[in-house]
Amino acid sequence: MKLKRLWFLALLLLITSPSWLTASGLTYAIVNCRLVSPPLPVIEKAVVIIRDGLIEAVGEAGKVPIPEDAEVIEAQGMIAYPGFIDAHTNLFLETPAAESAQPPTAGRPTAGATPEERSPAQPELLVLSQIKPRQTVINSFLKVGVTTVLVAPERGIFSGQSVLLNLNGEKPESMVVKNPVALHLQFVTARGSYPNSPMGTVAFIRQSFLDAAYYSQHLTTWKKSPRFLPRPVYNPFYEALAPFVNERKPVIITCNNQEDIKRAIRITQEFKLQAILSGANEAWRVAEELRAAKLPLLVALNFRPPATSLYSAQGEAVRRKAEQEVYPANPAALQKMGINFALTSLGLSDAATFQKNLQAAVKAGLPAEAALKALTITPAQILGVDSFLGTIEPGKIANVVLSSGDIFDAKSQVEKVWVDGQLFKIEKAPEAKGPAAISVAGAWKVTVSGPMGEMEMTMELEQEGSAVRGAISSSYGRWEIRDGAISGQELSFTLSVTIMGQSMDVAFSGRVEKDLIEGTLQVPGGAADFKATRIPREL
Amino acid sequence: MKKTIILSLCLFLVAVGPILAGGNLLLKNGTILTVTKGTIPKGDILILDGFIRQIGENITAPAGVKVIDVSGKYIIPGIIDSHTHIALSGTNETGNAITAEVNMRDVLHAEDTSIFTAISGGVTTIHTLHGSANPIGGQNITLKLKWGKKAEEMIFAQAWPTLKFALGENVTQANRTVAGGEERRYPASRMGVVAIIRRELQRAREYIAQWDRYNEWQRLKILNRPLLPPCKDLQLEALADLLRGKLVARCHSYRSDETIEFIQLSHEFGFRVACFEHIPEAYKIAKELAAEKIGISVFMDSWAYKVEAAEGIATMPAYCAQQGVLVSINSDSNERIRRLFNDAAKAIKYGGLSEDEALKLITLNPAIQLGVDKWVGSLEVGKHGDVAVFNEHPLSAYTRCDLTIIEGDIYFDREAYLKERQEAQKVNPKPKLSGGGQ
Repeated sequence: MKLKRLWFLALLLLITSPSWLTASGLTYAIVNCRLVSPPLPVIEKAVVIIRDGLIEAVGEAGKVPIPEDAEVIEAQGMIAYPGFIDAHTNLFLETPAAESAQPPTAGRPTAGATPEERSPAQPELLVLSQIKPRQTVINSFLKVGVTTVLVAPERGIFSGQSVLLNLNGEKPESMVVKNPVALHLQFVTARGSYPNSPMGTVAFIRQSFLDAAYYSQHLTTWKKSPRFLPRPVYNPFYEALAPFVNERKPVIITCNNQEDIKRAIRITQEFKLQAILSGANEAWRVAEELRAAKLPLLVALNFRPPATSLYSAQGEAVRRKAEQEVYPANPAALQKMGINFALTSLGLSDAATFQKNLQAAVKAGLPAEAALKALTITPAQILGVDSFLGTIEPGKIANVVLSSGDIFDAKSQVEKVWVDGQLFKIEKAPEAKGPAAISVAGAWKVTVSGPMGEMEMTMELEQEGSAVRGAISSSYGRWEIRDGAISGQELSFTLSVTIMGQSMDVAFSGRVEKDLIEGTLQVPGGAADFKATRIPREL
Repeated sequence: MKKTIILSLCLFLVAVGPILAGGNLLLKNGTILTVTKGTIPKGDILILDGFIRQIGENITAPAGVKVIDVSGKYIIPGIIDSHTHIALSGTNETGNAITAEVNMRDVLHAEDTSIFTAISGGVTTIHTLHGSANPIGGQNITLKLKWGKKAEEMIFAQAWPTLKFALGENVTQANRTVAGGEERRYPASRMGVVAIIRRELQRAREYIAQWDRYNEWQRLKILNRPLLPPCKDLQLEALADLLRGKLVARCHSYRSDETIEFIQLSHEFGFRVACFEHIPEAYKIAKELAAEKIGISVFMDSWAYKVEAAEGIATMPAYCAQQGVLVSINSDSNERIRRLFNDAAKAIKYGGLSEDEALKLITLNPAIQLGVDKWVGSLEVGKHGDVAVFNEHPLSAYTRCDLTIIEGDIYFDREAYLKERQEAQKVNPKPKLSGGGQ
């Protein structure tokens, strides 16, 4: 019987080739590419064999046998890099706005606080339980060479524990590389309740670590000799926090300005934490302290000067100039001062901005090799995954990026990406075909008319081909737009608006007629019309 | 290439701050108002390694020491503001009524432009505090205004550590509109304020006793059962330090009766009050304050802006000083801080203080209130080289500060600053607005 023979064949394949057992069981041979994977030496004409999600073999062309079952990818003139690791993001978090307004009760009755007070801390939260990966976002990161992201929770002082994901699809379970990675700590305040001031936050952090250490001391003593000692009252907050202060599990501390960095160093030393500092776009200004503290550093490619900076205190023009000319040099300055760091997209609206800012950092003096290390081997080491990620070496996870040229060159394009050995082909960006007919670059006055009345905003747009970037500011704040694009005369973008700690996505779409844009905006549960008129350059 | 140079220059400027003279300086031919040792009509001050080494006439500069001729100008000790909230990234922690655990040391903000405003008015030392929202606020800090330096380098380490208390309308939130359905925070009355402070001090006493008991048991080793230490509580640690004399109280207080109540509380618990803040009714209890040796840090001429400030009078600071109270004039503001010398002069007009007594209100007296008079507050050999140079007599209405020097380093030089600003505008004219409109 024909059918029976087919069955037998299938069975045979199944038992002879283990690749059939895994989802990523395909074999690829990337041949004739230039292989750049620091700190390993560059191979000018290389072969990379990928099998079952792992790198099977690497070597010079001609010296590595090509498996018969491999799909051969001819990569003459292209460069292969290890997949980038973006070691701090807040991707895929879809917390309902209503929930975020009231952080869950987590128990630490702060010094003198009444028990009913909510504390802005949830160290027990595993962010993996809250994420919802979206393919469009994944694609946007693959397109710039990022294959692995650390997703961290973003709310609260002790905001929870992060997860490391490979961008291999939309299923969180298959994406997990390491979970949990670290506890996340940030110097934010709680609106309304304690602590609602920066100094209150620092005191709250200190007291929380003291309490957690005490709780576990109590618990240990009680377990050893439970007689004549009241048992400790069970507390999930202390349970979650204790390993970070007692067993030195890693804590990632977000630092938004130079004072935050010094604060983080002090707290790290006081409690002997195993800390990793993140954000730190002003790190060069406290290089001495950083060098002395010897803490791993995740530097965000966010060049916006912090509000505490002198640049921000001197008006918008000075702030902008600093954003364009001073802060992009942070990574270069750190590198020059011999400080090791990884680069991240923390605080950036999208992958395209990450790429643009990465190029700006290189332009500002960061050597390309240092930039590459900061996106591959260094984050792998900092996150403790360098035994299986971070370089293209036999046995490691097959996260490989194939670029048409130097990946830091704006003209290059990522052609193919392997994540866990799965091949993702990157579609050519439409902007490569030529500039869009219409330019929306410049400043616009936006009037939104909804059922509740009118609202005025200012919109500033930049355009590269059909990609649109920029920001909208109103009396409530300033928000960067994402997923901005022009197709024909149609402009569309999304705005993540955060007001009073609540955030919401607003989808704009409209038709551009030279100096006028008319269209609608969608919010969850409503819509409104908007009209934008161009603000002349010179007044 | 050019861009790279500019960039690295920017980085360098930010990292290094203003160019320093290195702590050695000779000021020549100025009128020196020493505040404690009279006036030298035409004299010199030699500062070496940040300290005043010589004051007198015809001093010659050692080799390599920069000489500044200040002929026709006036030299006074750097001005000290005993009560302000600048150079911080926060003022009040209002999440609780008792917040002794918060420490302003944790939120220093070295790039606060108010520091520059202050040094442009000759201020060299400030005591910067937690606000007055809570009966027990936070721990405060004293800074030298070394503009351009890192926050840590500004800390005046020898100053007393202080703890902020507050009484009256601010803590009872008397002037705050309570929204419908919102509960008023406890304490909402004067008796509540005293009660909560007493309760907290009592808790601190018990906390000390707990630790004493634990240490005793630990020492004797007589218990044959597990022994746990008390849990370290940062709030109670601060209050315990107050009771142990390691911290001194600074108390925001307006009314004389509440002030007397707080003094009684300090007797009851045995802690030291360094100073009452603002206290427009101080003239009613000047004798008591003098007897208690508690200072007051006050506005020169600001009152009647709320009910508890209704009975302020213009002659209060001068009168209290004459009654033997240690009086300082504070700014409590990032703007008035540059005109404290004008305020001091008003105490001559309103109350008849002598020039030296008036100057003491903004120099020696606040130094004593902060526990730093050994180092600053007057121009004396051995003290820090903290100096302000004015173009006219500092108590004249037409004066202005030209130079502010801290530990022998120039932090504000009006002439150099104006020149620098002109140059900057030439190189980089004010950018035109690109949108929004004017």
